[in-house]
Formats: sequence, C-alpha cells, structure tokens
Amino acid sequence: MTKGWKLYDQRLAWVLVAPVLLLLTLLLLLPIAMMTVYTFFTFVTAGVESAVLTFDNWKEFLTDSYYHGFLWKTVRVGAITAVICAILGYFPAYFIWATTFRHKWLLLLLLIVPFWISFTIRTFSWIHILGEQGLINVVLIRLGVINEPLPMLYTEGAVIMGLLHFLLPYMILNVYVSLESIDRTLIAAARSMGCTSAQAFREVTLPLSMPGLGAGLLLCFVLAAGSYVTPQLLGGSRDALFGNLIYDTIMGQLNWPMGATLSIVLFVLLGAAAAAYSRYMGLSQIMKGLSA
Amino acid sequence: MRADHPNREGRWAWRLTGAITVCVYIFMFAPILATVVLSFNASMFGGFPLTGFSLRWYEKLLTNEPVLDAFRTSMWIALVTATVTTLLGIMAALALVRFEFRGKQAINTLVILPALVPETILGVGLLVMIKAVDQPRSMTLLVLGHILLTLPYVVLIVQARMVGIKRSYEEAALSLGAPRVSTFREITLPLLIPAVLASVLLAFTISFDNTSASLFWRPAGVETMPTQILSMLKISISPEVNALGTVMILLTVGIPLAGGLVLQSLTWFKAGK
Amino acid sequence: MKLTTTKRLERLNERYANGDISRRSFLTLTAAAAAATGLSMPWMGRALAAVSEVRFDGWGGVVQEAIDKYAFQPYTAKSKVKVVQGTFGDENEIITKIKTSKPGDFQIVHSSGVNYYIKYVNGGFNSEINEANIPNMANVLTAMIEPFRKITPKLSAVPYDYGTTGIAYNNKVISPEEAKEKGANLLTDTKYAGKIGGYADMTTRVWYAALQTKQDPNNIQDMDAVWAKVRETRDLAKKFWSSGAELMDLLSRNEIVVTDAWSGRVAALQQQGQPIGYLDPAGSYAWMEDMLVLKGSPMAECEELINFMLDPATSIAVAEGQNYPPSLDPTKVKLTDKIAALPAFDPTGSMKSLTFADPLYWAKNEDAWTKQWDRVSKGA
Repeated sequence: MTKGWKLYDQRLAWVLVAPVLLLLTLLLLLPIAMMTVYTFFTFVTAGVESAVLTFDNWKEFLTDSYYHGFLWKTVRVGAITAVICAILGYFPAYFIWATTFRHKWLLLLLLIVPFWISFTIRTFSWIHILGEQGLINVVLIRLGVINEPLPMLYTEGAVIMGLLHFLLPYMILNVYVSLESIDRTLIAAARSMGCTSAQAFREVTLPLSMPGLGAGLLLCFVLAAGSYVTPQLLGGSRDALFGNLIYDTIMGQLNWPMGATLSIVLFVLLGAAAAAYSRYMGLSQIMKGLSA
Repeated sequence: MRADHPNREGRWAWRLTGAITVCVYIFMFAPILATVVLSFNASMFGGFPLTGFSLRWYEKLLTNEPVLDAFRTSMWIALVTATVTTLLGIMAALALVRFEFRGKQAINTLVILPALVPETILGVGLLVMIKAVDQPRSMTLLVLGHILLTLPYVVLIVQARMVGIKRSYEEAALSLGAPRVSTFREITLPLLIPAVLASVLLAFTISFDNTSASLFWRPAGVETMPTQILSMLKISISPEVNALGTVMILLTVGIPLAGGLVLQSLTWFKAGK
Repeated sequence: MKLTTTKRLERLNERYANGDISRRSFLTLTAAAAAATGLSMPWMGRALAAVSEVRFDGWGGVVQEAIDKYAFQPYTAKSKVKVVQGTFGDENEIITKIKTSKPGDFQIVHSSGVNYYIKYVNGGFNSEINEANIPNMANVLTAMIEPFRKITPKLSAVPYDYGTTGIAYNNKVISPEEAKEKGANLLTDTKYAGKIGGYADMTTRVWYAALQTKQDPNNIQDMDAVWAKVRETRDLAKKFWSSGAELMDLLSRNEIVVTDAWSGRVAALQQQGQPIGYLDPAGSYAWMEDMLVLKGSPMAECEELINFMLDPATSIAVAEGQNYPPSLDPTKVKLTDKIAALPAFDPTGSMKSLTFADPLYWAKNEDAWTKQWDRVSKGA
C-alpha cells in the first residue's frame, strides 16, 4: 500500500495524525464553534431556548457590571495565585536543582505524587485544616491562643490556598526543568571571575530560569482562572470565580445561551493570555513544562 | 550542605531556601495526611479532635454499592482511555517528529490546546454540541472526552522521547528492505517503551482523576469516582469520604509507584546489559 | 391472522393497563403471543425492559434512606423490579441532566412541588400517568392534588409528602423564647453574624425576606426591600447550604447556630440528640413533594411503584423515617402518633394552616428572580 511513497511522505504523516485531528475537530473545535453560535440564541425560559438569533446575550454581558466584576475578580485571583506560586515555588525548585543531597530523586518524586492523588481529595482535605473543627483552629484553641474558632474556610483566602496547593507542583516542575537546562559551567565561570554566589544567581541563574518561571506563571494563571471545583468546595458563595458563574448559569438558571456567552468570554480571555505569552516565549516551554 | 557557599550570606540564603522548601513540602502533604488520619476517626462527623480509632468507615465503604460502581466505572474508563490515547498519541507524535508537512505547527499547537482550555469550557462546549445534534450523553462520549483531555500529555511525552531516538536507526532498517511496520515494531517501539509506559500511566491517572469535565459529560446515572466523591462531599464531610480518599490515595499513588519501579528496573536491566 | 394477533395483544395491553391481570402474567402472555408470530409492538420493548428496573432520583441522605428502606426494598422483594437510585441537592441540577439525556434515562423524580412541576411541564419532560392504575391515590389529600391539576388536568405527578422550611437554631446559644420573639428576623440578627446559615435557593431566600419585610410572599409589592434583606442575610451568613445533609452537617458541627431549615431534617437531628430547636414563624414556607414521572419511563412499572409507595403502611413507614408527613388524608387513613407530632403536620387535611407558594405567581417571576438571586448570592 505504501509502495511508491517516499520515505517521509506527507501522505503518511497525514494518515498518522488523522485520528487525532478528527478527535480534536469533533470534540474541541466544533464544540467551540457551536458554542459561539449558541451565544446568539434566545433564552425563552429556564431550560428552553429558541434558535432565533439575537445579540441580547452579548449586550447583557457587555453592559452589565456584574459580569465585569467577576471577570476582574477571576483575573485578580488567578494572578495572585500565579505570583504566590512563583515565589513559593522557586525556592524548592532551586533547592532540588542545587542540592547535593543523595536522594534528590525522592524530592522530585514527592513533587509528582500529588498529581496522582485525586484533585477532589486534595481540595477537600483543606476543610480538615481550615474548618471550625480543623487542625489549625483546634490546636489554637487547645493552646489557648484563641477562644473562638477563626473563620478561615469559605473565604477567598481558602480558595487561593486550595489553588496554590493544586498548582505549586506545576510551578516547581516548570522552574526545575528550566534550571536543569542551564549549563552549570556558566555559574562556575561567573564564580571564578569573582562573583559572589548572590551575584551569580542574579546575573546567571535567575535570567536563565526565566522561561520556566514564565511558563509556570502562565500555566498557573490559566488553570487558576479556569477553576471551578476549588471555589465550589472551599469558597463561600461570594468567592465564586468565572467558572462557577458559567456552571450556575447553565446548571442553575438553565440559561444555556448566556452560559455559552460566558464560556466564550473566558475562553477568549485565557486564550489571549496564552497567545501573548507564546509571542514572547513560544509555546515550546509550556510543552516542556507539561511533559516534565 | 552545599560546598560552594563559603561566604556567610550564601550560607544564610541557602538555609532559607532549604527552610522554605521544607515548608512547601509540609504544605503539600499536611492536608492529605489529615485526611488519612481522620479516616480512622470513630466520630460520626468529620473533624478534629479525634474521638477514637475505628475501621468502621472502611467497612461501610466496602458495602457502599454506588462507590464500588463508581470505582468500576472509573477503572474501565481510565483503562480504555489510557490504551486508546497512547495509541493515538504515538501515531501523532511519530508524524510530528519524523515528518515535515504543511500545517505541522498548527497541529502541534492544536494538540496541546485541550490541556490549556479550562475544563468547564470543554464541558459546556461538548454539551452544547451534542444537544445541537440531538444526541444523548453516552459512555462513548465520556471516554472520547477523556481521550481528548489526556492526549496533549501523551503526545508531549512520546514526542520528547522520539526526538532522542536517532532516525538513522530506522532509516538503516528501511534501507535494508525491512517493511515500515516491522521497522517500527523492531526498532522504534522498543526504544520508545519508557515513554509508552509513562504515557499509559499518566493517561490512566488523569482520566481516573478527572472531575470538572466528567461532571458535564457523564451520562444519566453514571458516576465516576471523583464525581461520586464530590456528590458525597456535597452531602457531608463524613469520615466515610475520608476513608474513600485514603483508599484512592493508596491506589493512585501505589499503581504509578509500582509502575515506576518496573520502569526503573527495566532501564537498569538495559544499562546493565 | 396477523391482525387478530395484534388485536389480541392490544386487548391484553388494555387489560393490563386496567389492572385486570398481573404484570407477570401479562408479560408471559405477551411474550408468548409475540414469539408465536414474530411480531413486536412499540410498547413491548419498554414493557419487557421495565421488568428489570426503574430509575428514581431523590434528595439523598436520611430522606432517601427512609424511602429506600421502607418502600423500595420491600417493593423489589415483592416484584423483583429493582429501583436504581440517584441523588441531587438542587432540583435545577436534575432538570439540566434530564435536558441533556434521552427520554427514559431518568424516570421518577422526588420533585418539590408545583413550582418545579411547571418547569417540567414547560420543558415537555413529563409523562401523563393513568390514575386508574394508582388506586391508592384515593387516599391522597385533595388539597394537595388540586394545585397540580390546575397546571395539567391530567396529572404527571402524585403528591407524596409535605413539610415546612422554618427556623432551626442551636438552643445552647439561642433560647426558645428568643427564637419565638425574633422569628424570621433571627436570620438578620447581627448578634449571630458569621453564625447564620440558609438554603441556597431563590424561593427560600425571597420568601424569608418577604416575611422579614412584613409582606405577603405570594404577592410581594416592594421587591427592592426584599433584595435588601436577602443581601443583609447574605452578609451575615457563614454559608448557604445546598443539600439537606449539608444543613445537618453545618448545624451539628456548630458551624452555624441559626438557619432556615427543612422540618424533617431538623427532626432527624433532634432524634440524634443534637441541641437543635425548630419553629415555624407566621407565614413559614410550606411546600409539598411529589413523585413525578418523566417521558420515556415504563409507565406501568412506575405507576405500580407509586401505588406501592402510597399504600398506607408503606407511606406511614416512610413518613416516620424521613420525618415528613405523608400526603395521605388523615380523615381517611389513621396516621400514627409519631406523624401527628411531626413539625408541619396538618391534622385537618385541609392544608389551610400552611402557606404554600402560589405556583403561577412564582412561575411568572422565577427566571428574573433566579437571576437576581444568583447575583446577590455572589456578592452583587
């Protein structure tokens, strides 16, 4: 069948990617296109919509400050989470990279283990730490530091905490991967030329690990801003993010056209973030981070 | 700990880094440990302080039919997903690494898209689409969805490994007249095995763990393990949920660890030869 | 020959529908007749498939446990029809699922009354039942059936139980006297800021805000005042719960000390020895629940199951288990003392002492208010 085809024949390549392409078209591109069409449908009543085309959903989104508020809040929470992740994540990544500890693989393994633990379980486990009868409150009360349990669960802080917990390994691995790719002789050279270790870090290591840090920031931002389960489990109703707005509009108000509109908005927003990033850094870094 | 930090600031900075690292690790594991500990709590309502040691939540779990059902469902979905995705992923990675063709860059980006698009959006999109073509949600759809979600990771892993395999090996075999298929089977695949195993494991765990998208896609009456946990959580944070969490941790950490060890010994074995 | 067989099958079906012959002998006869001629009828596949199971979706927790233990398990033992169960915390959730599944995936829903009944009817999800197949409906309170009949003269649902959403409070923190005096206003009492809860549901929130602003919940004049009150509660609340089990959890773990609450769940807490008091303030939100049959369900099986559930012995046992009074007419069926002591129970059967939501008034405002509630709940 493949006789007469060149060694690296284009046709063979297309045969190989065809199933994947079909899958991506049917389950990713087509649904997004469909969703875009849906944003112009008319909402009749809960659970019922008609294919009469209208701009009402977009008008509502564009004129209503309620949505803008949540969009801003989602961006804010996403950005805060990503930045804290970067700060907290850089140290362990650097430590693992630089340590002479013999069982370095163990440290790396421990970073990967959380990926294997159900995300739902990791998220709800925070309830045991932050709740009224959670670890922190119980210990503080026993020690007599406080009389009344502190309200920590169901706050924005708890949501960010949960997101950090979920995203830190992504950040650490991303930074670690880019640190690994640094030629260590460069640092030795800097040191031998009289740089203090701090200077060597600032002038050589930090700039060279920037791509990993950037990829980590983008990944954390996108995943945090798109999250749904974490605010649902750890936040109060005010701590909802855009993902919850979408879920509630679709599942609660049964208003699918508006839900589709909001989905497209979030998609465009996060897409823009990823596009801006790839312009400067190229997506290859994220690929490295994802496959780490 | 580290030799090349002779000056004082260097030492302090290093210690600080170490301390923060330890804190981050504690941060990562403390809540999980709390869950495990609380699963042995005798009290009816989850929460500290412990009122006594008990295994009754595990007992209750073993007779909880919906949980066992959800477990079977998730296992089944994850197995099919892991197999199919790995197969598709190898094919796509082969094309993307070995071949030059128009649109390659676009496909490369498209393939990692499912990892970057929030699951809520993927979920809504698919829901809207099947509604538009008047199809009910089905198991097949759920599995296809999971394949979509795991695809980027598999392609990336296999790609990374494939780049490291010299094409001259394959070309040599081909020039000696070996058919393409047997070249792949005899030369490429054996060299690819670590990546294949890693892909299967990762696809399995991602599928087994998927929550948000499954919430939208599962057919009527089907619960996967994570959606089952979520609906149990909605009802109450009982020690039974903690017990379930602990069992899940044992399973999901145990399987890849065992797999990793096998992988390790395989490469060892190879290196030894 | 063919014609007569069809006729015979149809007649059989009719007799079965009238309850003349038992389901089993009907199926045997049909199967024999069909096998003899290689003929199949559109309803036959359904009837045959239905032999194995019926799907039921309910509110989970103690309520569903009671229904399962006292109704489904005995029914399965008797008829060999398995009842496959699912749960939901919010009825809109189940409507979305129904919307995106094929008819028959969901069959019987433990639905919360007329307000929701309208939604199913508007969406075309409901399936008409043949009341003749549910002889036990004769014992069901007319006052509960009438509201449904106003919406569809031919029913798709049968009322099953009722209850109230009153005020539950931790009586170690709040005395019964204080609760009685403040009533609905406990939900906006700054003294308990951060310790207040409530059901994350538009109707409940608007209802209680209407009571707090001294308005008739079925004819609200000043909506702005209502939303202001809803916001007030929201700002003082620790968490709005979204399932009965979560309500019980929050109260028993002292996360909240006062909340609006479902009467039956509070009764369950009290039976567990929790220090929880309950009161129905004037105009407290009363509701009823019904067994609603969806399109594509095996009607004969569903009707038989509902009839079984309405059997006085079953219904009373379920009511005692789930702590909600049954829909049985107390003037026709003798109910137990335990039921008479349940909160919300109306011994006259006229339902005059309870305030239900006017379905048409609420349906008219549902979409707009749900949207507004969604916003208010998220801090707008």
